[in-house]
Amino acid sequence: MQDDPTLNVNLTRALDESKRLADSITPVSDRWDVIVVGSGAAGGMAAFQLAMAGVKVLLLEAGRMLDVKTEYRTMEWPYASNRRGRMPVGERPIDVAEYSFLDRPYGSNPALEKYKKVMSYSANRFTRNWVVDEREHPHTGTPYAWVRSRVLGGKTNFWGRGALRYGPLQFNAASRDGFDVDWPISYDEVKPYYDKVDVLLGCSGTTEGLMQVPDGVFQKPSKLNCVEVAFKRAIAPMGRHYIPGRAGVTTEGVLNNKYRARCAGRGRCGRGCDIGAAFHSPQALIYPARDSGTLTIRPYSIVSEVLVGESSNRATGVRVIDANTSEVMDFKAPVVVLGAGTLDTTRILLNSRSRAHPSGLGNSSGVLGCYLSEHIMGIRGSGYIPARIGTETTLDDGRAVSPYVPRFRNVTDRHPDFIRGYHFQGGGGCAEYPSMADDLQGYGKAFKSNVRKHYPALISLGGFGEVLSRKENRVTLDPSVKDKWGIPVLRFDYRFGDNELKMAKDMADTVEEMLIAAKAEDIKIERDPLPPGWSIHEIGTARMGDDPRTSVTDKFCRLHDAPNVYIADAAPFVCGGTQNTTWSILAMAWRTMDYLKERLKAGDA
Amino acid sequence: MPKAATSSGVDTGRRTALKAIGTIVALPWLSDEGLLAFARLQETNAASPLKVLSKPQFEALEVLTEAIIPADERSPGAKQARVADYIDLLLAEVDREVVLQWIGGLALLDAEAMSRFRSPFSRLRDTQVDAIMQTISRNEKSAQTPLEAFFVMAKQATVRGYYTSKIGIHDELGYKGNQFLREFVGCRTEDGQDCPHCGQKHHAG
Repeated sequence: MQDDPTLNVNLTRALDESKRLADSITPVSDRWDVIVVGSGAAGGMAAFQLAMAGVKVLLLEAGRMLDVKTEYRTMEWPYASNRRGRMPVGERPIDVAEYSFLDRPYGSNPALEKYKKVMSYSANRFTRNWVVDEREHPHTGTPYAWVRSRVLGGKTNFWGRGALRYGPLQFNAASRDGFDVDWPISYDEVKPYYDKVDVLLGCSGTTEGLMQVPDGVFQKPSKLNCVEVAFKRAIAPMGRHYIPGRAGVTTEGVLNNKYRARCAGRGRCGRGCDIGAAFHSPQALIYPARDSGTLTIRPYSIVSEVLVGESSNRATGVRVIDANTSEVMDFKAPVVVLGAGTLDTTRILLNSRSRAHPSGLGNSSGVLGCYLSEHIMGIRGSGYIPARIGTETTLDDGRAVSPYVPRFRNVTDRHPDFIRGYHFQGGGGCAEYPSMADDLQGYGKAFKSNVRKHYPALISLGGFGEVLSRKENRVTLDPSVKDKWGIPVLRFDYRFGDNELKMAKDMADTVEEMLIAAKAEDIKIERDPLPPGWSIHEIGTARMGDDPRTSVTDKFCRLHDAPNVYIADAAPFVCGGTQNTTWSILAMAWRTMDYLKERLKAGDA
Repeated sequence: MPKAATSSGVDTGRRTALKAIGTIVALPWLSDEGLLAFARLQETNAASPLKVLSKPQFEALEVLTEAIIPADERSPGAKQARVADYIDLLLAEVDREVVLQWIGGLALLDAEAMSRFRSPFSRLRDTQVDAIMQTISRNEKSAQTPLEAFFVMAKQATVRGYYTSKIGIHDELGYKGNQFLREFVGCRTEDGQDCPHCGQKHHAG
């Protein structure tokens, strides 16, 4: 293999720090009030809230520490790599063929499976050291693109920055259309936490007054560029909005955080923002929490199960398998907070089997693992906006996110074919790579000038649709397959249903009609959804509710079956609308931790 | 060139056999001694810092990539952007089958050039190169012949190599992003002004 300095990053510092921490922190090296599992949005927020309140926290991360200065390569050009940014042949962290496409430079021969690659920002040269290898982390059952990251900060290191909040259309969805149940809490109960998250972490956007995407406390927005304004004006008469994307990126700075600066308009957030303008859990939450002096971080700590006392329904701690040495250690604490990432949190609970909880901790209802949901996506449309064809290059991508078309189905009207709805994300204008060059025909000077001509004019939008939370969409523990550390893996039983497929058809039709309204040329519509899981917006599987017979946690994300075990990630979410999940995880984790802090104060945790 | 312009220069039987390479590696060249020997000769003659391709193969590839994205009044083309080097690097990592696809494709290109102009592809005059390019680019959306399939493959790699190069990004496209900005401006109509970039007025319509 060729040596590629952009690929083989020097991780010495992060590895040394990880080893030092893992060696020095043992079950008897200290005592902690709370164990937090996971260091992404959920675990990061949980650890931050507790540590800032003076609670002694042990944060367990399954992967290693992160060296932000070396690993976030925000401004690297493709020509810095001799493979021009491609991954080496055969390197596919997500090892399932369904999720990958032929990598053009290696040839157009579909028989050559190994030249396929994962076409997603979750698997590229910037993230390859963060995303798990499925050979070590298999899963079974129906196809599911389960993107996992085991490193400090988890997926927040490369997330898409979409910072949309849920609103009444989600919390009270069942009241509106009769499907499933409402959340046990209302938007009004969570709104103050969304507002606090906006202020603490920085959220850019515009105040629109749309009930389908409630406004927040916004900093300066990621504005629309010229081609997008043309599109916005074309769809306005249809009653559809095209508004600046809402991004978990600070454009005006945040208070009291020396690890973060405001956005500098480079538009490379998904590789990790080296000035910390984009929200990444390490700089935004974990480093400040560590500075408080009450947070201990132990990397390489794979939690296999929550330990429960013989004669009580209270957790006593967690079992940890050291990722490097495979040493098994039981860490004890009065409270356990799970933020391992929706599906891994549920996997830990399912694997926490004891005499009192034979089918897993929190599973007396039998619904642990059920109601898995995410977003159906992959349906997209593109075209060239005539007014921008042949114009000069403009700076169009110096911002945190592209704009989006908020949901317009089943907001005030009722669609005859499906319930719930979808939104579109996407934009246009001049990007670093002119993707139209892959599509335009011909060769020579005519081809070259044709690429240049169309370069500023391309607009492209992709849909995200709500997948109904259905009981039969579930995960269980595979009875025989285990991961590299001997922990049973998840078996998926998850499919898109009739409602999703009808919604997907409508998505393709409406994106086409909007492009036609914008008089776009050479309109291309992708009508097939991507395989399940692709959205990386998984929610559910440990749903919250007031009735212990039909839910896993109470309305404070505390297990009905074990009152000192809390969930900080999206596993308790009842339904997820069209919105990206991270901002809701942050708000809900904050709310859950406020509740836990009260209990701790009252001596009743 | 009435008939020749539409023919790939190989007889119909072999063409049918060679069709296979568009979809699956069937190694039809191995059964054709002439072509294989031609390819082998090119390989064994290799004496360059190139990783996979021989010097003649590399020269043919340079001409081909430059024909796909040539220099023009605005910017240099694929040759100066060293796209052929990039492709040679990629080929160093792939299986023999893929390398054979490329070497075979280049050999076919030479065979076409020899048959039509009695000269290898890398020695053709611009108008002759263009005549061949016209022939092989005819069915880009659904390549019918091995040469047409090779064109599609070579174009994809050339496009990727060129527009990820310094020349492609900066000289040709004039890409302006990936810089430190005080603030992202976008369309000025969003700030309540007429936009000098796109000419759209603050008040639509």
